[in-house]
Amino acid sequence: MRKNLIFAKGEIRFLRELARTKVDFMIVGLSAAALQGAPVVTQDVDLWFRDLDDPRIRKALRKVGAVFVPPMEDDPPVFAGNAVELFDIVTHMHGLGSFEEERRHAVRIPLGGFRLAVLPLERIIASKRTLGRPKDKLVLPVLADVQRTVKARSAKKRSFTAGAA
Amino acid sequence: MWYNELVRISVERIKSLCRQRGNTLTGLLAAADVSRNAFYSLARRGTVLPRSLVAVCAQLGVRPGEVLTDDDRETEAMRSLLAEADAIAGRGKGMDRENVRHTLLLLREKPIDRLRRALVRAQKPDLR
Repeated sequence: MRKNLIFAKGEIRFLRELARTKVDFMIVGLSAAALQGAPVVTQDVDLWFRDLDDPRIRKALRKVGAVFVPPMEDDPPVFAGNAVELFDIVTHMHGLGSFEEERRHAVRIPLGGFRLAVLPLERIIASKRTLGRPKDKLVLPVLADVQRTVKARSAKKRSFTAGAA
Repeated sequence: MWYNELVRISVERIKSLCRQRGNTLTGLLAAADVSRNAFYSLARRGTVLPRSLVAVCAQLGVRPGEVLTDDDRETEAMRSLLAEADAIAGRGKGMDRENVRHTLLLLREKPIDRLRRALVRAQKPDLR
């Protein structure tokens, strides 16, 4: 049965452990857009790792009572366990560069006392444009509006700061 | 005197707001449980402000609006947010004001709470 508070202790603990041990990864997809203010709906939190064989990932999983299930035939790799059931593993982002290239432009977002690398809105949009599935096409206008809103808000903050200086 | 004529009800403005919402004045009054007599009695008054407040403002030589304040900070914050949403949506061609408004609302929250909202919405059962 699902916990009352979604994305609570277990999930946060797993992410904190990944951050603490400096595992190189990013939050991508619509959950990344939600973290940046997008009014969207998503069923899971997509994680993109530089190296899925990094032993620190298994260690972090063990800490929250979860395990790594390797890919088999058509089945992609997944995490198994209550604390990680909301996470999906992403092995490739359509329309984007390599992990290393994209990681350079990641935004750092605070989350429960630590910071995580998150794929920027413009790159999420680029990926969804490439994918072009019906569900991507539906959300693209929303993401474009969010991007412009965030830019306008940042410009306003900058002008306020400049005015105060 | 000028301060006695300031705060009146604009029946035309109320009718216009009703039209924007697909309603009529009669429908509005019924929904608000206000009788036509009570409404038009108020509308005929020179001012809807209490006489004591008008007198105080007259002594101060200020307009009543200068001494009225909205204690509801949330209301103030929402008005400010709506104005900002209008300004941003007005500058961007084809922008949806609702997307802007929801984004501005979410930007007031912590990132973790934004994410939780996105996930919770996806977990809600389809009620249709």
